[in-house]
Amino acid sequence: MTPRSRTVAIGLHAIVSLWTLFVLLPVFVMVISAFKSQAELFTRPLSLPKQFSFAAFERAWGIGISGFLVNSLLVTALSVLIILLASSLAAYVLARSERPVMRWVYVAIVAGFAVPLQSVMVPLYQLVSSAGLLNSRLAIALPYAAYGIPFTTMLFYTFFLEFPRELEEAARLDGCGRIEVFFRIVLPLSGPAIASGAIFQAVFNWNEFILALLMLTRAEVRTLPVGIYGLTGQYSADWPALMAGLAIATVPLIIIFLLAQRHFVRSLAGLGK
Amino acid sequence: MFHLEVRDVVKRYARFTALSGVSFAAERGEFVVMVGPSGCGKSTLLRSIAGLEQISSGSVSIAGHDITAAEPSDRGVAMVFQNYALYPHMTVAQNMGFALKVARRPKSEINAAVMRAAEILRITDHLAKYPKALSGGQKQRVAIGRAITRAPEVFLFDEPLSNLDAALRSQMRIELSRLHRQLGATMLYVTHDQTEAMTMADRIIVMNGGTIEQIGSPLDLYNKPATRFVAGFIGSPRMNFVAAHVLRLAGRSVGFSLGAGLAPLDLEFAPGETLPFLGDAVVLGIRPEALGDSGEIHLADADVAVVEALGRETLVYSDAHALRTTDSESLDGYFAQLVPSQSDKRPGQRVSLRADRSAFVVFAADGATLHDASPALAHHK
Repeated sequence: MTPRSRTVAIGLHAIVSLWTLFVLLPVFVMVISAFKSQAELFTRPLSLPKQFSFAAFERAWGIGISGFLVNSLLVTALSVLIILLASSLAAYVLARSERPVMRWVYVAIVAGFAVPLQSVMVPLYQLVSSAGLLNSRLAIALPYAAYGIPFTTMLFYTFFLEFPRELEEAARLDGCGRIEVFFRIVLPLSGPAIASGAIFQAVFNWNEFILALLMLTRAEVRTLPVGIYGLTGQYSADWPALMAGLAIATVPLIIIFLLAQRHFVRSLAGLGK
Repeated sequence: MFHLEVRDVVKRYARFTALSGVSFAAERGEFVVMVGPSGCGKSTLLRSIAGLEQISSGSVSIAGHDITAAEPSDRGVAMVFQNYALYPHMTVAQNMGFALKVARRPKSEINAAVMRAAEILRITDHLAKYPKALSGGQKQRVAIGRAITRAPEVFLFDEPLSNLDAALRSQMRIELSRLHRQLGATMLYVTHDQTEAMTMADRIIVMNGGTIEQIGSPLDLYNKPATRFVAGFIGSPRMNFVAAHVLRLAGRSVGFSLGAGLAPLDLEFAPGETLPFLGDAVVLGIRPEALGDSGEIHLADADVAVVEALGRETLVYSDAHALRTTDSESLDGYFAQLVPSQSDKRPGQRVSLRADRSAFVVFAADGATLHDASPALAHHK
């Protein structure tokens, strides 16, 4: 390694380390706060708790975190499934079609990515309401899916452009129809794209707040972000319980990321083509 | 009835025509090799027969059935790809049995077919492995095995050996020939390597610019090339070409001028061969092995430029100054000479390029052959 590239490497590591600290600090505060009492949280906000108490976790669980967790899991799983299925199929057709019109279809789909949620919230509410879906998990799972499709389609599209066509041709000679080629050959080999699509959308949908707040007014269908928000009162809040609830909400995402991070990194490296 | 029949196949893309009216037929059990430079349409033709490309017009039939519009899997063909195209998420056995699995055949039948193919190709030890654990040669064998399990009417090979190193390639050539004899199957094989074509083919189809230049047995193409293109493509090192024009005509005797300061060359045209006109520009061809120190005709003096000692034979490239080869690109303007022994020639040495009259081929300006060399080449007498 030359001295110059060594300096560059040290500099890059320093930047990444700082950034990591910056990102992890709030997480650290969240976790230690969850183990403190309300009083200790305000008197010694950044120090480690004197004793690790699970009382806040119990209170958080008691207020219905378990139900919110199940709702979040259901909504996220359903929306991510719809996103992956629709996006991969759409992207495959777009990537394989030679018709010029498909380029415009692709541009239209990508343009959907640029529409801010806030600008369509009112019509979206009317749509969901007139479909009779308010206060059901579908009320947010379907909009989430719709919002996740453009980005995930882009992700799959770039992946499929690189996918070796000879494999598909071999499968067609082996007797597969177009659909079979996709499900038996292409999709099983799309691990990286599936993993990064799943992680991106799972994180987004798991954390989504504003739509969930709008569509879900009954406690039993609320997802974690809205449910935890319910732990804050107008003048006071049970901050340790809030932090405990947030800590619980973070765990599933960390598990998903650990499982899929290898694919995730690899597929992002190829994005932007 | 022919086993594989291709009639007037045209393949047009938006901007160019890849195949302009190609026709040929293969007997059952024949090993046909399509050869030509890249972009000549040979792969497009193979893919059209496989059904991976839609042809613009014409027809293809296999075993008497018109399959022009059939799905790839319904054509009775199996294809071996250049990059193997093995499914990475399946084991060797699953790769080989995939077609039968898609066709919902019973497990016992699939296993038996896979086992039989694996035995023929000697890959029974690798059946449980995944493709990434195999070497290039083993992968190619699996790809061939995948074709065999399907028991197709026609095997299609798309440059299957071009990713292998030279030693493995010559070994696989022998194995493919053995396999062809063992299976007795009709095989259509695409390559740009004339050695593969010469060594394996029953018949060779030479393609150029989307059309067929010539079809024939390897030695037919070598001895009686129909065009200058075929003469240059078949044979390694390639034929030497000399620009000339017709100086005199007397009966069937034609005199050619080879250039300023060089003696004219008189050749006797056989009955049936087309005579050129006086003053026509033509190209004379002569094989490297026919060019030597001895021979009836003294063509020119030359300086040896490069000597390639191959052990059993020697390639001598020399610059003949006044005598210009028309092949300035591929041979750098040098004349290639193949000496069937070790040679003490050194670069810089002056030599005399000589050949027998019977060794010359004459091509018209449009590339068509006017006069053949006699196959019994002078040099080895």
